[in-house]
Amino acid sequence: MDIDSTPVIHTTQLVKNFGRTSALTGLDLSVLPGEVHGFLGPNGAGKSTTLRILLGLIRPTSGTARVFGIDPWAEPVRAHRDVAYVPGDVTLWPNLSGGEVIDLLAGLRGGVNENLRGELIEEFDFDPRKKARTYSKGNRQKAALIAAFSRPARLYLLDEPSSGLDPVMDAVFRRHVRRVTSDGATVLLSSHILTEVEQLCNRVTIIRSGVAVESGTLAELRHLTRTRFRVTSAATPEVLATWRGIHDLRIDGTTIEFDADAADLGSVLDALATAGITGITASPPSLEELFMRHYGLQATGQNIGQASHTGQAL
Amino acid sequence: MRAVFRLALLQERRDGGILAAWILGIAGLGYAAGTAVTTQFGQDNERAALISVAAASPAFLFLRGLPDGISSGAVTFFQSYSFTAVLAGLMSAFLVVRHTRADEDQGRFELVGSTQVTRVTSLYATLLFGICANVALAVAVAAGFIGAGLPVPGSFLAGTAVGAVGLFFMAAAALVAQVMPSARSANGAAAALVGGAYLVRGAGDAVGTADLALLHVTAAWPSLFSPIGWGQRIRPFTEADTLPLLVITAGAVVLAGVAVALRNGRDLGASYIAADDSGAERAGAGLASMLGLAWRLQRGSLAGWCFTAAALGAVAGGLGPVVRDALEGNPSVAELMSRIVPGDAGLVDLFITAMLGIAGILAAAAGIEAVLRLRAEEAEGRAELLLSVPASRFRWLGSTLAVAAITATAVAVAAGASAAVVLALGQEGGSSPGTVFAAALAHIPAALVFPALTVLVFARAPRWSSPVGWSALAAALALGQFGELLGLPTWLQDLSPFRHSSAMPVEAFNPGGTLLMATIAISAAAAASRLIRERDVTV
Repeated sequence: MDIDSTPVIHTTQLVKNFGRTSALTGLDLSVLPGEVHGFLGPNGAGKSTTLRILLGLIRPTSGTARVFGIDPWAEPVRAHRDVAYVPGDVTLWPNLSGGEVIDLLAGLRGGVNENLRGELIEEFDFDPRKKARTYSKGNRQKAALIAAFSRPARLYLLDEPSSGLDPVMDAVFRRHVRRVTSDGATVLLSSHILTEVEQLCNRVTIIRSGVAVESGTLAELRHLTRTRFRVTSAATPEVLATWRGIHDLRIDGTTIEFDADAADLGSVLDALATAGITGITASPPSLEELFMRHYGLQATGQNIGQASHTGQAL
Repeated sequence: MRAVFRLALLQERRDGGILAAWILGIAGLGYAAGTAVTTQFGQDNERAALISVAAASPAFLFLRGLPDGISSGAVTFFQSYSFTAVLAGLMSAFLVVRHTRADEDQGRFELVGSTQVTRVTSLYATLLFGICANVALAVAVAAGFIGAGLPVPGSFLAGTAVGAVGLFFMAAAALVAQVMPSARSANGAAAALVGGAYLVRGAGDAVGTADLALLHVTAAWPSLFSPIGWGQRIRPFTEADTLPLLVITAGAVVLAGVAVALRNGRDLGASYIAADDSGAERAGAGLASMLGLAWRLQRGSLAGWCFTAAALGAVAGGLGPVVRDALEGNPSVAELMSRIVPGDAGLVDLFITAMLGIAGILAAAAGIEAVLRLRAEEAEGRAELLLSVPASRFRWLGSTLAVAAITATAVAVAAGASAAVVLALGQEGGSSPGTVFAAALAHIPAALVFPALTVLVFARAPRWSSPVGWSALAAALALGQFGELLGLPTWLQDLSPFRHSSAMPVEAFNPGGTLLMATIAISAAAAASRLIRERDVTV
């Protein structure tokens, strides 16, 4: 067996109940070495709970969780040795300066890398001399990110890490994720921001109500979905109605938009060729659409409220 | 105006049971004291004996206040007023800070401030809420006294005296909340004001003048600088006087007015004592470990506690000889004291022993405050970040516990050292400075039981750590001050750790009790270190 394919993170049938509410209801998650794994789901789906179990902060009700093959609840110190974590809601010590927080956290992990520290502070445009109580949400997040990235780790657990960052800082963040993975590190990135995951992740696990509903590479997931067409054509609605495998048809003058099932792409392209088109764009489904499929279109009765909420968040 | 009412109602709802617990606790204390006096000291001669001993003891005068005749009401008021007034002050101060500076810290004010209200609406609401709370407190205390069988008009006036002191510190805390940069510092400063008012009144009362029958003591001038001292002047069960009530209320109105003006004149989140927002660019060598972090977080508080303890120690060492001289001028006192405590140093030693007992309580409180940082770290989400590094929970808990033990020890050392130094400078006899210093240290093991108990609760049920820790201290304090008065069974009184520490220099050193308390503290801490691994980190 190839040692490199042993998952860095592996959970099986992970269940976590808080009193009567279940946060996780049987989560299977597998993150391979060197990949950036997107962990996608709406608020309350169980992403943060999973990360906390992986850190050994909370104990799973049942099921197993392994990080580098280690049970994080039984041996947290060993499991943490090569882990850097950025929580979703960063709170810092109000009376410590940002620079002190970075040194403290990186120091507790074994010591800060001076070059990286200086580089990160500059790139993130971060003022390390201010007391943490003066920082905005984005600045607190920067402090935690700088602390995480300023010492090399083998696994980065990032819980919605860029939710407080502006687009420029987000680019800096993405650059450093790519840097650490090119050095061979593994990243688990929880998010409900689809573009972030699309730009960064090799593989994605989609979680809903505490269980993984889909897992695979972006290509594998896209395979399951429709392609969006936007064509300029004089074809009449009567003609279009005869085409097989198209959905959500919208006609605005000569501009026609529709989705096509992957299985029917061939016949749709044939039909387009004979319909006399003057312009065409075909786009792969965005993760947003994948997402909506899981939280929107396929929402069961009990999830409708959640689905509409997610729709707004997107 | 409707907004003020609605916000006041909102604050009342958010407080929930906290306020009710305070009010019932304070009224319960008054009821217990009243019952003790009416049942244990039913006869005039019994009360006269109690009062005359108290009038001759500066320690009693310092801790309790002024004896004022032998009626059941007067004796009850003497026994309970100072403590209920301090509690009323703390209740009101914490209430105000909770709804002013703490709300600003947490950003809740921003939400309220964005609605159709002015900058000061919320402060008005808090003051209104505070007034209602103190009216309720006054009625509850009066009901407690009436329930204990004391005269109705006096009971109401006594309740009003307690409520008025609460009102004063409500206004004072509203002012402090405008000035201080954080809820933590505002709470500390407001509590220090309450403590200071108690100490100033204590000093004035301790050097007061007793009449020849030893049934009344008149305060010396320092008590006039304390609202608690003014409240005492109402004398509800003897010669009732409502002028002090007006003085206290007028003081409260002025303070509240200044607070409103200050709030009107500042930005949201700003404070008149500006916090220094700039810090070091790099962490020093000390901030490289869990222990370093725990020390860094506690060192400011530790300095505050030690300063308070040193002030208390200076009072103990400096005031002892003064009160002895004052009392020795009174032939009745000299005669009584020579019967109770043989020897020259008796009075000074009694006073110092009582003061160092307070230092022991202060040490316990400092220890509890220090370990409750763990709870704040966890509840506010910093523990999650801290425990993601390769360091065990044991190290996290142990570091804070070690710093808490250092804090409690430092408080006792500061009180003892300051008492010893002041005593040595005065060269006024009594026990040697070395003995006095040792006497302060003797309270450390019992004081450490409280942080150890608090951390044990934290390890198992974190939400309960603060209520259990502080309640345990309040219970020990009540047992120590009222246990014998109430005639409680010995086993119950023995539950207080302080019963097992040595009340030196009056009593001899008690190695058995010291060892027992040290063992309990260490066992509880060890159990906590194990249990902390067993539960989820709460977020």
